[in-house]
Amino acid sequence: MLELLYDHIVVRYGELSTKGKNRKDFTRQLTQNIRKRLQDHKNLTYNTLHDGLFIKLNGEDYNVIKEELKEIFGYSYFSGAIRVNKDIDEVKKVTLELANTHEAKTFKIATKRHDKSFPLRSDEINRAVAGNILHNTKLTVDVHEPDLMIYISVDRDFIYVMDEKARGGGGYPTGINGMALVMMSGGIDSPVAAYLTMKRGLKIECIHFASEPYTSKQALEKVLTLAEKLSHYQEEINVHIIPFTDLQLAIYKNVDEPYCITIMRRMMYRIADEICKQRKIKVISNGESIGQVASQTPESITVIGKVADTLILRPLCMMDKLEIIDIAKKIDTYETSILPYEDCCTIFDPKNPVTKPKEDKCLYYETLFDYETLLEECVKNDRIVKVSYRKRGKEDESIF
Amino acid sequence: MKVYLDAVSTTALDPEVRETYKNLLDKYYCNSDALYDDGVAIYDMQEKSRKLTAEMLKVKKDEIIFTAGASEANSLAIKGLCLNNQKRRHLITSIYEHSSVYNSFRQLENDFGFEVTYLKPDEKGHITPEAVKNALRDDTLLVSIMQVNNEIGAFNDVEGIAAIVKKHPGTYFHTDITQGIGKLDVDLHNVDMASFSAHKIHGLKGSGGLMRKEFVELMPLISGGQQEFSIRGGTSNALSNIVFAKTLRIALENKDKYNSYLYELHDQLINGLEGVATINYADGLCTLVNISTPLTSEVLLNALNDRGIMVSSKSTCGSRKNELNRTLNAMGIDEDHAIRISFDHTNTKEEIEYFISNLKEILDKYA
Repeated sequence: MLELLYDHIVVRYGELSTKGKNRKDFTRQLTQNIRKRLQDHKNLTYNTLHDGLFIKLNGEDYNVIKEELKEIFGYSYFSGAIRVNKDIDEVKKVTLELANTHEAKTFKIATKRHDKSFPLRSDEINRAVAGNILHNTKLTVDVHEPDLMIYISVDRDFIYVMDEKARGGGGYPTGINGMALVMMSGGIDSPVAAYLTMKRGLKIECIHFASEPYTSKQALEKVLTLAEKLSHYQEEINVHIIPFTDLQLAIYKNVDEPYCITIMRRMMYRIADEICKQRKIKVISNGESIGQVASQTPESITVIGKVADTLILRPLCMMDKLEIIDIAKKIDTYETSILPYEDCCTIFDPKNPVTKPKEDKCLYYETLFDYETLLEECVKNDRIVKVSYRKRGKEDESIF
Repeated sequence: MKVYLDAVSTTALDPEVRETYKNLLDKYYCNSDALYDDGVAIYDMQEKSRKLTAEMLKVKKDEIIFTAGASEANSLAIKGLCLNNQKRRHLITSIYEHSSVYNSFRQLENDFGFEVTYLKPDEKGHITPEAVKNALRDDTLLVSIMQVNNEIGAFNDVEGIAAIVKKHPGTYFHTDITQGIGKLDVDLHNVDMASFSAHKIHGLKGSGGLMRKEFVELMPLISGGQQEFSIRGGTSNALSNIVFAKTLRIALENKDKYNSYLYELHDQLINGLEGVATINYADGLCTLVNISTPLTSEVLLNALNDRGIMVSSKSTCGSRKNELNRTLNAMGIDEDHAIRISFDHTNTKEEIEYFISNLKEILDKYA
């Protein structure tokens, strides 16, 4: 690796490149997100161009930045790069230096000409550079499995020489597609749903239904810890904590047991829907997955979802539990999610929940008590906690 | 002028550790196992400390058991393991272990009928992997060899010994890293248990721990509740446990920062002692030098004490006993004349100079 030689980072947009007119908005959002994430590295300077974002390191540590950059959505890959002037001799010099530094036996050159006005074609550059390396080192060419890949990118103002391509977060820059409200229980699924939602360019807020004293402070703390872990992808997350106990008790007093969960979920959606309307949030997202529990059968999802006008997205709907767990582990939420605190769904676990609820029955149960006042109370007493990974670390520092 | 040259005995509290501990003391008094907020807050901090400590030692979080220091950790490791696995009857340790290790083995030998092989250090002061290999038997349950000897500073190839024991099925390896932690690197990859304390690295007295790998089952010596994985009962000394992570972090940071400075002090001391005293051992930990003079240790200690210089004649844990000194005896050092000088980064060159000039004066006058 040639970290020591790198003076730039080249970020390539990937999927973004397909977006015609909106492209400017996308690259602006991406640059903004990256700048925010890398704000502690004060010497970095940024240049956003049509074909990529070029970050000048100015002495900052590439290895540290690399890890942070991987947590940003909206681009396909990035590379540590050495910038050279648009002169083939300079390219030959730098690539030879690069080849000499690596302990490789074989190599391959791959040139991409973003600037078509450059006098040499990609193939001609490949041959000139490879010839120079072959002539001056013991390395040989292997086009199938080279030890060393050298990427040459001819851009508008400069040529960039790279020896690696690291995968970026993928998806769209968080925030470009507006806001989503993620229903967050504290289990394994909802943080994964939140992650996938952010990855699709939606900036998230979270909503958590707390049933104290039936659920503990630790259960709430767990949700905040999860939100903190997720904040790596968008800096700060607003968590709405809804005091849900009174409404939940009313449900259990008035509704027959098999329908309790169905009605409870309908109430949660109503509250989420109301908060979306108040805060101009366009999407409700959650960790529901078809068939996982009684309230997640197609029939249940249909009947429950009817109460909300806001678009409901269920990123995990078609996913297998093991696939979900894999992502949870990747984003480091799994260990927190499996901590054994009761959430509001598990606390009043009915023995025989209905798996194919009927809407007219739901409507009937909902005439039995004044849920609207209780809903209003819930929304009114919404407590918003701002969570960020940046804050948490600082409080701890003095003790540890 | 007071000059403290007994750093392997104990150390002064680090100011940052003291400040944090004081703040915690003012604020937190609840039981860390209590389920209300304040209790949980303490518990969470303690677990964070456990996690950070584990990360620094490159082991898993749940492999750290907090104890009231290394003596307890040694007792727990050795007796806890042996009493839990009584089918195998043979144990191996060395003759120059700390008393908490040595006497645990003596107890197992005398009161529980285990058979113990006590290895002697070679002429260089080392217990070699080969020596351990030769002593291993089919029924060997435990090998316990210290990382750094507390009286002469000799250090052992713990990784080498661990690798050999690892290959020997059914045998566990324990090492006392009390004098090495925060000073020397140690790879605990093949080590099953390791004991350490805080006060040797500017932490609190009554604070330490035992690293024991997940698969090692121990019989609790202090029966009690759920604390420390139900292995060590009693209300957690949570605040001490909380500041342990900081104590170790600072020690490790200082290790790199002051490495060359410590060697300068070492060289200054060795050069200054030339022609003044006999150097018994100075090939181990660079911060520990064992010397002899024509004066008996007791007289020299008194004379140095009168001049405000604090050194030890032997391990402080045996300072009031008239027992034969196992380490010095094994090394062929005349214990009646031996003095242990130890320092760390908090000592200055002036202090070393002060010690040397006073030592010369004392010897001129009384020897």
